[in-house]
Amino acid sequence: MTRITNYIPPLNFSPVVSTDVSLYRSGYPMPLNYQFIKDQLNLKTIIYIGDKEPISPEYSDFLERENISYYHVYMDSCRDKDIQKGMDQVLKLVLDVDNYPILMHSNKGKHRVGVVVGIIRKLLQGWSIAGIYQEYGIFSGGLKGDADLEFITMFATDLTVRNEKIPGFAKLCLIQNSNEKKV
Amino acid sequence: MSILKPTHDIASSQNDEVNTISADLIISSLTNQDNRGNICAVETEVEEEEEYEEEDDNNIYINEETESGKEQVHVSHAPEERIVPPLNFCPVERFLYRSGQPSPVNFPFLLNLNLKTIIWLANEEPQDTLLEFCDAHEIELQFAAINPDGGEDDNPWDGLTEHSIINALQTIVNQDNYPLLVCCGMGRHRTGTVIGCLRRIMGWNLASVSEEYRRFTGSRGGRILVELLIEAFDTKLVRIERNTAPSWLLKALK
Repeated sequence: MTRITNYIPPLNFSPVVSTDVSLYRSGYPMPLNYQFIKDQLNLKTIIYIGDKEPISPEYSDFLERENISYYHVYMDSCRDKDIQKGMDQVLKLVLDVDNYPILMHSNKGKHRVGVVVGIIRKLLQGWSIAGIYQEYGIFSGGLKGDADLEFITMFATDLTVRNEKIPGFAKLCLIQNSNEKKV
Repeated sequence: MSILKPTHDIASSQNDEVNTISADLIISSLTNQDNRGNICAVETEVEEEEEYEEEDDNNIYINEETESGKEQVHVSHAPEERIVPPLNFCPVERFLYRSGQPSPVNFPFLLNLNLKTIIWLANEEPQDTLLEFCDAHEIELQFAAINPDGGEDDNPWDGLTEHSIINALQTIVNQDNYPLLVCCGMGRHRTGTVIGCLRRIMGWNLASVSEEYRRFTGSRGGRILVELLIEAFDTKLVRIERNTAPSWLLKALK
C-alpha cells in the first residue's frame, strides 16, 4: 500500500455529517485541492455560498470533468436582503438525499459556511446553541461573528420537503418536530 | 431518542462497498449513487421502525403511520428539546468522531451517534458518569494511553507515546469498532495527535494535518511537540487489514 501523491484538502475542510450521507464544508477549492476532492470525496454536488463571480475556468473545467452539479448561492453577509431565500435554497439541496455527497464551501470556510452549518445543526439536528457557537468558533479561528451567531439563533423558515428524500441524519429531528406541533 | 442502529447493516453494506469499489469508480458518472443513497435511506427507515418497538415508554413516541409515512414534511423551527455536543466535537470520517470528555449533559447527543467504541486517550480515568454510561449502553471503552506493560503516559502535558498512538490507531483502522469516538480531556492535543497520525496514513500533506490539528487547540494554539510527534510518526507501524478496514481508508490508500 504505497501512495504517490500527497493529498491537499481545501482550507478548513471537514465533514459536517458523516453517517448515512456525506456532507462536507471547506474554503474555496484551489487547483491543488482537485486531486483530493476527486479521489476522496466522490462529490455529486457543490454549493458555493459567497460573492465571487464568475468561477475560474480551471474550476468550471474541474466541475465538468468530474460531473459535479454546481450551485452558487449568493451571500455577502447575513445582513443581505435576500438572505432567507439563499438559506432556504441551501436547505432544500441538503434535504434531498439524491444530491449527496455534497461539499458546501465559501471563500475561507469560516463565516458564511459557518452560518449555513449552524442553521443545519439547529433546524435539522437539534443542536444546542452553545454547541453551534463552539463549532463556529473552531472554524473561524476564534474570531467572533456576533452578527452571524445572532442570525443563526433567530433563523426560522417555512419549507415543505418530500419525506422520502430526507437524509437519515435529519429525519428524526424533523419528524419529531412536526409531531410535537400537532399535539 | 433513538436513531438508526447502524452497526450491523453498515458493516455489511460497507463490505459491499469495498468489494465493488473499483467497479463503482469506473461506472459511476455519479448518477449511480442515486440508487445507493435511496436504498440506504429505505433500509434505515425499516431499522428505525423495528427499533421503536423495543423502546421504553419515556422515549418520545413517533406515530409511524401518520408521521414517518406521510409524503411531505414541514421544516420551520428547531425542536424544543436540544442535544448538546461534547466539547470540541467534530466528525472526522464516516462514523468516526472526535471530542473532549463527554459529560452527562452530552449523553443524549452521544446516544444519537450509536457508538460502539470510545477511545479514551487521557492517562487519568474518565469521570464515573462516563464509565456508567458506557456500561449501560454497551459501549466499549478503550484506554489507549494506559498501558500496564508499556508504561503509562504519566504527565498530562507529556505527549502520547508511540505505543499509545499505535494502540489507538489499530482500533481506528478496524471497521468492526465503528461507530467510534476518539476523545481526551479537552479534545485538543492527544486527540489531535492520533487524528493527525491517521491523516498521515491517509496521505494528507503535513501542512493540512497541522491546520486541522490547530483548529481544535483553542486560543493558546498548537504545541510544537504534538506536531513533531505527528511528523515523525512511522505510518508503517499500523497494521491495516484490507477486509476489516473502513472503506474511506482503503480509498485513501489506493
